[in-house]
Amino acid sequence: MTDVSKVYSNGSVALSDVSVNIAEGDFVFVVGPSGAGKSTFIKLIFREEWPTNGQIIVNGRNITELSLREVPFLRRGLGIVFQDYRLLPNKSVHENVAFAMEVIEAPRREIQKRVNHVLELVGLRDLARNLPSELSGGEQQRVAIARAIVNKPRVVIADEPTGNLDPDTSWEIMKIFEKINEDGTTLVMATHDKTVVDAMKRRVIAIEKGRIVRDEAIGVYGYEG
Amino acid sequence: MAMKVRTVEYFIREAIVSLKRNGLMSIASVSTVALSMLILGLFLVMVLNLNHMASVLESQVQISVYLQDNLSDREMREVGTKITKLPGVTMVTFVGKEEAMTRFKQRLGEQQGLLSALGDTNPLPNGFEVKVDKPEMVKPTAQAIAQFKGIETTKFGQEVVEHLFSLTKMVRWFGVLLILFLALAALFIISNTIRITVFARRKEIGIMKYVGATDWFIRWPFLIEGVILGLGGALIAVFLLAEAYGMLTSKVYESLAFLPLIPRSPFIANISGLLLVLGAMIGALGSTISLRRFMKV
Repeated sequence: MTDVSKVYSNGSVALSDVSVNIAEGDFVFVVGPSGAGKSTFIKLIFREEWPTNGQIIVNGRNITELSLREVPFLRRGLGIVFQDYRLLPNKSVHENVAFAMEVIEAPRREIQKRVNHVLELVGLRDLARNLPSELSGGEQQRVAIARAIVNKPRVVIADEPTGNLDPDTSWEIMKIFEKINEDGTTLVMATHDKTVVDAMKRRVIAIEKGRIVRDEAIGVYGYEG
Repeated sequence: MAMKVRTVEYFIREAIVSLKRNGLMSIASVSTVALSMLILGLFLVMVLNLNHMASVLESQVQISVYLQDNLSDREMREVGTKITKLPGVTMVTFVGKEEAMTRFKQRLGEQQGLLSALGDTNPLPNGFEVKVDKPEMVKPTAQAIAQFKGIETTKFGQEVVEHLFSLTKMVRWFGVLLILFLALAALFIISNTIRITVFARRKEIGIMKYVGATDWFIRWPFLIEGVILGLGGALIAVFLLAEAYGMLTSKVYESLAFLPLIPRSPFIANISGLLLVLGAMIGALGSTISLRRFMKV
């Protein structure tokens, strides 16, 4: 990201002149108080928002130059995890994960193989036939993570993935993220979960009032509360 | 991008699932389309039949040719041959002075007495009655004959022809307006149904977008759903229309045989084809309209 600014149409400045480089295989926390620009930062990466200024390069492509038709192909190289899981309530765990592969028209046999593999990875093999409503919050988030990684993205983006979870469950989720990162996947996670950030001892980018105020290779959350 | 068979299966399955899910709305839109298409079809049948009748009547309009009084029998025969050779002329009948007088007397009926004032003189000219194959040919043929030597004057049912033309023109215009209006109504209903479907599935569409589905991949099931709604409605309309027209034609042939209706086949098959294509198009267009508004996730 080079000199990226984002001004919303109502005039509020979400990010101003943000420059940051996240290398392949990094595990990065984006922290900061609510409304500081974390979410905008995340949304810019998968082109939900357009930057007002500046350039964003993801997986070697300048996504500010991407046409609308190319956006789906950008997103296939990304895995996205949200705070509210965003699972399909009337599809089973297995179907929810397989869905991500179906919509990019993967061969059926490969879908079967990959879905089983990622469900194993997040420890949900036994719950594959259940509906999301029958699962706990932590389990639902694990389904969402499985869905995010099933297409083998090079980057996983998570927006407050532990925001709705208790500390123990959050910790389980972080373990899974760590495992994914060890396999070479870049991880960018926006959070205001102090315990998690402090314990993981990873690179921390702090955003305040739309500016990067801190970027440390092994950082702590650094805010109270 | 070539589409895989499995993907096409997926699209159709999704469309059908969605049709079932909002069953009542689906039924409502199929019925509306059916009704619109039925009225549209009925109107088409009416307009085309009126046109048909008009042209049948028009082709029956004949040209009266009156000859000059000083022509010899041979000259009259020559004129008759020349008329026969004109393009589009189907029948030429000689009507002599006496024949003309007989007809005139018949037409006067009880008032024949008026003619006694003429005594033995017959002021009516010799002439021909000429029929042509196409109504449009009446006027030019009459004008061509008028140029021949020995012709006093030519007349044809100018007013009748022109009245018929203006009537069919009016009916046609009214028909076009009504058809446009009905097509718009059907379009509106289908686009509303699809809008409800899209709205109900906006979450799913959002997720599809986040995991990298292309817009077309997301659109297809909704397009298919719209086409099914449009085609379904058109099918019902076509069935009802074919039945109704079959009944009408058989009744008319029994009791009003002089009314020149268009025979059922292949007339109804053609109209059916048109309605089905139109229904499918309205369905596809209806869902496109809704999708354009909702696809921006």
